[in-house]
Amino acid sequence: MIKIENLSKTFSGKSVLDNINLEIKEGEILVVLGQSGTGKSVLLKHLIGLLKPDQGAIHINAKDITCLSEKELLKIRSNIGYLFQEGALYDFMNVAENIAFPLHEHTQFSKKIIAQKVTEILEIVDLKGIEKVYPSELSGGMRKRVALARAIILDSKILFCDEPTSGLDPIRSRDISDLIHDASRKLNCTTVITSHDIRNSFRIADRVVLMHGGKITAQGTESELRKSQDPFVKDFLMN
Amino acid sequence: MITNLGRALCFLGDIMRHIVCGRIRLGEVLKQMYAQGLQSVIIIMMTSLASGLVLALQGYVAMARFGAKEYISHLVALSLVRELGPVFTALIFSGKAGARITAELGTMNVNDQLLATRTMGVDPIEFLVVPRILACFLVLPILTVISEMVGIAGGYMVGVGEAHIPGPFYINQTIKAIQYVDFFSGFIKSFFFSILIGWVCCYQGFTTKGGSLGVGKFTTKAVAYSYIFIIVSNTILTKIILTFWG
Ligand SMILES: Nc1ncnc2c1ncn2[C@@H]1O[C@H](COP(=O)(O)OP(=O)(O)OP(=O)(O)O)[C@@H](O)[C@H]1O
Ligand SMILES: [Mg+2]
Repeated sequence: MIKIENLSKTFSGKSVLDNINLEIKEGEILVVLGQSGTGKSVLLKHLIGLLKPDQGAIHINAKDITCLSEKELLKIRSNIGYLFQEGALYDFMNVAENIAFPLHEHTQFSKKIIAQKVTEILEIVDLKGIEKVYPSELSGGMRKRVALARAIILDSKILFCDEPTSGLDPIRSRDISDLIHDASRKLNCTTVITSHDIRNSFRIADRVVLMHGGKITAQGTESELRKSQDPFVKDFLMN
Repeated sequence: MITNLGRALCFLGDIMRHIVCGRIRLGEVLKQMYAQGLQSVIIIMMTSLASGLVLALQGYVAMARFGAKEYISHLVALSLVRELGPVFTALIFSGKAGARITAELGTMNVNDQLLATRTMGVDPIEFLVVPRILACFLVLPILTVISEMVGIAGGYMVGVGEAHIPGPFYINQTIKAIQYVDFFSGFIKSFFFSILIGWVCCYQGFTTKGGSLGVGKFTTKAVAYSYIFIIVSNTILTKIILTFWG
């Protein structure tokens, strides 16, 4: 369970997150929608402790992660899957080594089992047979799917995905959204996804949060949001 | 400036803590040693061969004036082992391996790979920085010894070919000329330079900001700082070593 309290963050005088309050239940899939540059990525980076807030608290499983040391954070993060907006794959490792990295670090599996798991997950993200390819030789969308594979390979109970579908074609977007949905349902995984992709967000989310100007403007299920009279919400959902 | 120095010192302290606590990945260290050593060894050999040749050529002219051409071997060996070997090797090494370290870490930094390491519960200092610094520490002294031997070989060529000193005599004189003190004073310097280069270049890479422009900027900064620190600290070290050891 994740609880965000009065979270605020300012970058060189510019307020990016403004007093955010949000509670995410265990096993819930939450999608954060919002325009480009409203601070979705910044919010996710706070949730995993990469950024420290100016003010406010973030509780993950009843532990306030904003006052933990980097060492304690590393331990918590090994139980969280995180997908970067740009993938952030190691470019000195090939695809298989990238995906296997968390397994090597945090499990005792043998090389053979790890290789098997890598093959399986590559099949799941529809990228069979690219184990030996280096990230620089992949397309943006392929890189993103490899990064997603790396984020979910440990079967973590918490998953944060920063725009998993941006840069993908509509069919792949749908498949990847479903993949995240299925994976997180299977493990009863608490999932936070940021996105611009309204259609797929509503397809997979238990709840959608709409951010605007550093604040949460609206939240709820699809039907609740569609009923909203807020001009920004209407405008955003229209397109 | 002061805060930067403070941060850099904290960074070094952090690295030292990892090394002391034994959080060292041997596989990564070996990989880095291989990359850094192989990358620099040819150019270092070329430079030291050339400096050995030049030293001997100039030494021949100077010594011949005093009728003491037998001492070319002393001149070449002592200048290489005490000063030129460690300093030249460190300068070239920082331009090759040091620049590579900063560019690699800097690129990883601007592409979020350092952040990604942290999100996967792995300490980037342990995984990426410590192996690089340790590799510097182990490789640079080896390269220095190689460069000194090649330089002496260069001196030998001139001594035997040009000055017509008998070969065995030249080698004998060289061995006699180099005392433990000479060798170790140079060796200590190269250990010191290796930490300096590793520290400066890792720190610059680790703090790189601003995309590809930033990578370029921080890499040149890393090399420039390494050069300055090597030259300045060499002067100080020389003074200290001469004071205590003669
Ligand atoms: N490290 C940083 N330093 C300064 N400003 C930052 C930093 N990170 C983000 N910002 C600013 O915070 C704002 C929000 O950025 P963020 O990346 O969270 O947007 P986003 O909602 O994820 O957008 P997109 O949908 O395009 O990914 C931007 O205006 C950006 O300039
Ligand atoms: Mg973003």
